[in-house]
Amino acid sequence: MARRRPEQLVPYVLLLPAFLLLIGMLYPFCLGLYYSLTSYYLQYPHLFRVVWLGNYLALLTEPVFVYSVEFTVGYALVAVVIQVGLGLAVALFLHARIPGRSVLRAMMLMPLMMPPVITALMWKIMMASTNAGILNYGLSFVGIGPINWLGAVNSAMVSILIIDTWGNLPFVALILLGGLQSLPGEPYEAARVDGAAGWDVFRYITLPLLKPFIILAVTFRAMDALRIFDVIYATTLGGPADATMNLHMRAFFYAFQWYQMGTGMAYAVVLLALVFAASYVLMGYWRRAAERTAL
Amino acid sequence: MSGRAAFEERSAWRWVRGGGLVVAALVLVVWTILPFFWILITSLKEPRDMLSVPPTFVFRPTTENYEAIFIGRQRGLYASARPDFPRFFVNSVIISSGAVVLSVVAGVLAAYALARYTFPLKEQLAFLFLSFRFAPFITFLIPLYILYQRLGLYNTYLGLILAYQLITLPFTIWMLRSFFMEIPLEVEEAAKIDGCSWWGVLTRVILPLSLPGVAVTVILGFMFSWNAFNYPLMLAGRQTFPVTVGAIQFISYEQVLWGQMAAASLVAVVPQLLLSLLVQKYIVRGLTMGAVR
Repeated sequence: MARRRPEQLVPYVLLLPAFLLLIGMLYPFCLGLYYSLTSYYLQYPHLFRVVWLGNYLALLTEPVFVYSVEFTVGYALVAVVIQVGLGLAVALFLHARIPGRSVLRAMMLMPLMMPPVITALMWKIMMASTNAGILNYGLSFVGIGPINWLGAVNSAMVSILIIDTWGNLPFVALILLGGLQSLPGEPYEAARVDGAAGWDVFRYITLPLLKPFIILAVTFRAMDALRIFDVIYATTLGGPADATMNLHMRAFFYAFQWYQMGTGMAYAVVLLALVFAASYVLMGYWRRAAERTAL
Repeated sequence: MSGRAAFEERSAWRWVRGGGLVVAALVLVVWTILPFFWILITSLKEPRDMLSVPPTFVFRPTTENYEAIFIGRQRGLYASARPDFPRFFVNSVIISSGAVVLSVVAGVLAAYALARYTFPLKEQLAFLFLSFRFAPFITFLIPLYILYQRLGLYNTYLGLILAYQLITLPFTIWMLRSFFMEIPLEVEEAAKIDGCSWWGVLTRVILPLSLPGVAVTVILGFMFSWNAFNYPLMLAGRQTFPVTVGAIQFISYEQVLWGQMAAASLVAVVPQLLLSLLVQKYIVRGLTMGAVR
């Protein structure tokens, strides 16, 4: 048997502490997957039994499950389109040579590191349903409202989106601004020589070069929008009438309100599958775009 | 078109464009600042000013809400029990610090291995760590809740610090790896030729050279832990709640203590606002796990 040189063992020694922690993470994860195949009522442990795919099959007959899948995916799509669109606009604005640009940029950092739950509480205060809320008071001058922000079905969804956008728009804007600032100058020189201007330059030079940054922003935003929780928990708790009940909230309710751990884990696994399907597709896009532009 | 007309048209266009930019800047400032402004105003109001229609902008500011959350004094009377909020704040400091220390010790070693050595399944291991950044917390929270009840880790600092590794460890490893990879290989090889062991290379060359990167990782890791809400919501109890869970305690079925909630929220984000000044340039890098430099 060939003896290994001690040098070859170094990476394994280095990885040992992190590996132990990794096992500490994977063990509960696997345990959770197992629980999703069981009927597990926390308050009635003697009823515990393995039901295999029973929990998953039961989900399919639950109307709220279908709605929560639709809401989870629909919310993520709308949030990504709006936040990346607006983020691109803000990035282009901050990229223009305007006075006070560095102040604006520093200001954009403020919402970025806020705990999402505190962000939600701040907006909850502003979104009071009567004119005592600053938002309704402001809108009353233009003859709108008062809007029952978090208390009505449609406005609750929009309110969640507004709060989420406030917290994450700077993230998209700053990634894209970083991208804009790193673009090479030559294509723009060439375009000017050829007489291209304005929209054409943006459409045929800026956008393609910015693509890896846009995909990166889309990836991070899509992942986080699919599993948004803190904001919903602090504002609507999935209501009114389950209007903002996404898979994450629903899993939480099953596990910690009704103590049905098996069904809760089944919801969690469905959400996990969605997140990983999305990340698989988006990571593939990103790798290809990054290779083409040598980011 | 005469030259003069063209010039006038161009300068008119410039005015429109300038005006548009000013309006856009104003919208951006109001959009970003308004929530902070309003929560500050709310935290300084007495309960009777809180829900007045229309909202009052001119009122006698009071420190009553801050006194209530810090020393338990309301309307000149002291509550029978000490207020919980100072404790929540200390809890946040303890849990976040503990989580970062553990992650950095394990993360420095792992990141160095992943940055400089080749071994089978290396990239797969790195991506396994990364995938924790995207996994929904509930997939870990449910089994952890059950396990912690059995193991006696529920409502303990140790239990929370271990659970927070799901947030801080993947971040620490990827962030430090990106900093280590910026150090030229030649520096390391020169040290090896001079007789440094791998441990010497790590402690005397890599760590001193990447000290700013390690500092940034520590600060950002602390901030991400500070923001954590889901894990402590179910794994902590009244004795170990951090500020994020503490702030939501002002909402109950009977009433919402708006003023105290506003004061608590503001105090809860002060460390975040101060620390983000220190790491301004690295926040985007941190939020993308080192992907965007």
